[in-house]
Amino acid sequence: MLLTTSVGSLPKPDYLTKARTQARKGELDAKALRELEERATREWIRTQEELDIDIIVDGEQYRGDMVAYFAEYFSGFKTSELVRSYGNRYYRKPIIVGKVGRRKPVTVEWWKFAQGLTTRPVKGMLTGPYTIMDWSFNEYYPSRRAATLAIAQVVRDEAEDLERAGAQYIQIDEPAISTRPEEMDLAIEALGIVTKGLRAETITHICYGDFNAIGPKLHKLPVDQIDLEFANRNFELLDFFKKRGRFPKAVGLGVVDVHSHRIESTDEVIANLKKALKVFKPEQIYVDPDCGLKTRTPEEATQKLRVVVEATKAVREELFD
Amino acid sequence: MITTAVGNYPKVAEGAYSTKLIGTITKWQRKELSDAQLEDTCRGITRAVIQEQEQAGLDVLTDGQIRWEDLVTPVAKRLKGFEINGLSRWFNNNMYYRRPILDKAPVRTGPILVDDYRFASGCTKKPVKAVLPGPYTFVALCEDRHFKAQRPFVLKMAEILNEEAKALAKAGASIVQFDEPAVGFGKTNIALAIEALNIAARGVKAKTAVYTYFGALDGLFAPLMKAKVDLIGADLVSEPKTIQALKRTKITKELAIGCLDARNTKLESVRELHAIFRAVGRLVPLDRLYVNPNAGLEFLPHTQALAKLKRLGEAVRSYKR
Repeated sequence: MLLTTSVGSLPKPDYLTKARTQARKGELDAKALRELEERATREWIRTQEELDIDIIVDGEQYRGDMVAYFAEYFSGFKTSELVRSYGNRYYRKPIIVGKVGRRKPVTVEWWKFAQGLTTRPVKGMLTGPYTIMDWSFNEYYPSRRAATLAIAQVVRDEAEDLERAGAQYIQIDEPAISTRPEEMDLAIEALGIVTKGLRAETITHICYGDFNAIGPKLHKLPVDQIDLEFANRNFELLDFFKKRGRFPKAVGLGVVDVHSHRIESTDEVIANLKKALKVFKPEQIYVDPDCGLKTRTPEEATQKLRVVVEATKAVREELFD
Repeated sequence: MITTAVGNYPKVAEGAYSTKLIGTITKWQRKELSDAQLEDTCRGITRAVIQEQEQAGLDVLTDGQIRWEDLVTPVAKRLKGFEINGLSRWFNNNMYYRRPILDKAPVRTGPILVDDYRFASGCTKKPVKAVLPGPYTFVALCEDRHFKAQRPFVLKMAEILNEEAKALAKAGASIVQFDEPAVGFGKTNIALAIEALNIAARGVKAKTAVYTYFGALDGLFAPLMKAKVDLIGADLVSEPKTIQALKRTKITKELAIGCLDARNTKLESVRELHAIFRAVGRLVPLDRLYVNPNAGLEFLPHTQALAKLKRLGEAVRSYKR
């Protein structure tokens, strides 16, 4: 009970950030980049083992944007000129221009590499169909629904391949799900296509948005575990669950804020975990940071993960006493 | 029919006026470039954006809001009482704006957009419209730590925006537009929104417009027709029911219809646009009809944004009743 894990991404060390820039400019070949990505993955897996995290992630050292990564490897997508995301930040948004498909598995090879480095379970990490649709332009499918359901089939194939390769946990992230509450049913239907009949434990991570609008349908998401950010909302989400009676799924409990430089104290995380234990059963809770840690420095990320593990262990011990 | 744009336009254009704004802003933020140097770059891009609109055949232009971080920041940062805070989602889009916090009574200490307006209108012989956030939307997008009540805040903003609107009209704006996307989301106090618009448009010696976009306007057009503004903007793309809602409304004002999707790269056909013109032409005489994309074109990469403007011009020129 109270297993510890991370949400997905971990920061890239400086040498890898530099190498990626060089590779983009054509100054570094794919093989050299790959070696550095493998090195960074190895380092993060060792770090997670040393921290004694129960369920490991590969840290996504070889991925950039979580939608663009899949759009790059799936067929049917092309990339756009720059569009603004906010302030002075721009990105290239994928455009669906044809039938979405998959030439070969996208994430399985990296998953096998990571799992080969540790005896602890490594999560398979996918981006959900609704999020891939919402974060892309669509010139091919007649509707948002048609695009989402078509993408769902392809993500499904990827999930099956991960399961076949041995993944015990498969996470399908849907951060866009809170953007349009009126499309929650579509997101649920699409996620159902991805997870139907899988034996692996399935997880979805949802972040930033109007929780009140989507909360009432949260239990309908067809996954075993729902991972949410609790820390950056001061654990106010607990009140929502308290009011609604027993939640029928496992909950990924984000206990450290990924957007702040401040390292939480073990004591405050312990206190928050105890609050959560008044709402959820211990075997229902997985403990992790709020979201992917890629925007923190490697040192901050490691420190935050250490706090997650130390606080969880302290609470576990009290529970056993 | 009068062709126009809604507000913003891509700030960078890889195939045209370059992406230099990104580097210029970065250097300006690091204080390596002066305010005047930033202004110079913004003016160059504004001029290019105005030329593109002229070449596309638009009748009424905008300045493209090249300096604008989002709809609210340019106004909030020049008023006393506000602090610009963290990122929030821009309605139902994967795009973000900075949420202003109101700490003390808001005060307008001088013109906000008048200099920018004068520069833009000096770039062309065609009319350039002035665009402002509407008071209701402005307040919906702020965090209020001063009034702690919607009504006094909205009415105060209406007074402030009225002063600015009058100044813009005096500077030569033939149309002053208030953007009110927030009325289409959640539980809207439409009576308050209209009361505020009436204040904002009072005594403005120009045509006044209110533009709505993204949301569901069902049931709101009848009250909007009673607002003391000359022109009502409706987005016919985002919500398919909006055209039905318009058909049920007695249209007593000039109408502006958003008929190209500013949020998707797929280019509308001339035939599709003609079908919309025909349907709306039954509701309002064509000389009282403005046609435009459904929102600012900044969601799109530059190539597709320009293609949409050109397509609009093409469709209007080839339309025969």
